[in-house]
Amino acid sequence: MGETEAAISVRGLVRGYGSLRVLDGLEMTVATGSIYGLLGPSGCGKTTLLKVVLGRLIPEAGEVSVLGAPPGEKGSPVPGSAVGYSPQEIALYEDLTIAESMRFHGRLHGMPIERIRERQAWLIDFLDLPESSRQVGKLSGGQRRRVSLAVALLHEPELLLLDEPTVGVDPELRARLWEHLRTIAEGGVSVVVTTHYIDEAGKADRVGMMRNGVLLAEDSPSAVMAAQQADSLEEAFLSLCSRDTLVVTQ
Amino acid sequence: MSLINFTRVGAIAGRKFASLRRDKRMVGFIIIMPAIQILLFGIALGGTPTGLDVAVIDEGPAQLSTSVLAELNQSEPLVLHYDEASVESARSGVQEGQYWAVIHIRQDGTIELHLDNSNQQISQTIIIEVRDALTAVAEESGAQLPVEIAEPIYGDAAPAFIDFLAPGIMTMVCFMFSLILTTMAFVGERYDGTLDRVFAAGTSPMEVLLGHLAAFSTILVGQVTVVILIAVYGFDIPVNGSPLLLFAVGIFLGLAAMCMGLLVSSKAKSEFQAMQLNMPIMFPVMLLSGILWPVEALPTFIQPLSWALPSTWTAEAFRSIMVRGWGMSHSEVWIAFVFNLAFAAFALLLAARSLKARE
Repeated sequence: MGETEAAISVRGLVRGYGSLRVLDGLEMTVATGSIYGLLGPSGCGKTTLLKVVLGRLIPEAGEVSVLGAPPGEKGSPVPGSAVGYSPQEIALYEDLTIAESMRFHGRLHGMPIERIRERQAWLIDFLDLPESSRQVGKLSGGQRRRVSLAVALLHEPELLLLDEPTVGVDPELRARLWEHLRTIAEGGVSVVVTTHYIDEAGKADRVGMMRNGVLLAEDSPSAVMAAQQADSLEEAFLSLCSRDTLVVTQ
Repeated sequence: MSLINFTRVGAIAGRKFASLRRDKRMVGFIIIMPAIQILLFGIALGGTPTGLDVAVIDEGPAQLSTSVLAELNQSEPLVLHYDEASVESARSGVQEGQYWAVIHIRQDGTIELHLDNSNQQISQTIIIEVRDALTAVAEESGAQLPVEIAEPIYGDAAPAFIDFLAPGIMTMVCFMFSLILTTMAFVGERYDGTLDRVFAAGTSPMEVLLGHLAAFSTILVGQVTVVILIAVYGFDIPVNGSPLLLFAVGIFLGLAAMCMGLLVSSKAKSEFQAMQLNMPIMFPVMLLSGILWPVEALPTFIQPLSWALPSTWTAEAFRSIMVRGWGMSHSEVWIAFVFNLAFAAFALLLAARSLKARE
């Protein structure tokens, strides 16, 4: 096993809320040190899947292994400082300043105050954030999104789960972010990015196309496009969806 | 379950504290509210009614009438009227709502009272005033009542009602405002994703709870101080025991109430629901803790419920410290500490169970 072991391995995952079944026998593999693009329409279960990976939601059936152990179980590194999570709903305390948000999350991860300051300075520069004394609640939507991202990157986790990190972020910065994700992935960090800008996921090593609680396809972007004889990921996704609908109606 | 990581507890406390410090208006409000409430209680409860219009029909022996009426004239609550010619016309004055009572001094020197008994507090006041006047007249003439009340062992010879009420009111105000303090603690956080993020960092529910408890404790100290200062010094209520002990009991009660509030916060799905959930806690505390009426007067099957409330033990301890001047050597005092602490721990454990890191 060792280096060939996947960062995330999901087999036959079933999970819902009450009688609603959101994930229905899902299979997914994220290789260590790779970028994985998780694509699909809103409501398809992307966020639920991330919460299972985080150990926040307990699977009803199936096996999940994250960084070598079932998340949330005793001795598992997840949840914990091994993972950085940027939720879709931004989820920052609006009454705190940027610096206070960083300090809060840094201390949660047991980072020394000096290290928090260093990382904060770098992240403010890298993500083009306003001065650290600004209150989060008074920032624009895009700025908040970037603070949320900074919090996920702060403690340099070995697994990053980014739920819609590029909404409201301008194209230049979006490109810079992908570049950074590539750099840290080469350093061994595994990254899962959900996005509905489907073509953006072309930069990922692997994409998973999700619909109704299962992955319709999981492969490299070029392989997915080739299999659907499509010119873009978006086209490939639409073609997969129509075929899926056809199967369902039959 | 891993052990508590106090760095994370500190991080959460620090974060909450930063929010509180920023919201100075809110902090002022949560200190001023209990102050206003205890002031209102002190002003509104336990006073003696005054300006009670009473008709006097005097047919009694001259010497007796003069001395009784002289006493009654000095009475603060009563305003005497001599305009009525007969008992019948005076009674119709009561019927018309003109007077609260007719004091009829009869020819044989006995006194008959015709009362509007629709308000018990007021008729009781009139009866007490008339009785006191008669006792004073009897004592002047050298007569002795067959019952003599010696100097009380605890409490004042002529206690003000507020002296009895104060320990209970202090209990009630401390409890309610500590409860309200934490009920909203993380209702919002559970649904806006911020708590998900805190859990993703490996934080346990107990660490979240302890962090909030630590931050809110700073406000609790302010609240308890204000309540005790106003009750004791504002209304000049004697404290025969240690004021410091009084403060300590108040803090422990506040701790129990804050943990109860955290439990509510971990159950409620919205802030509105949290407020609603507070109601069935506040009313038993107000009515069953021996605060307004003694526990001994409750139906026996309800009394065990009274003794399950931290407020009952605390009111008892407050009363023991303030009136009896007792200290930690008395079980009435130290049990309040133990019970509040046990109640706090129990509520905190339930809250930790309810605030699941994994669902």
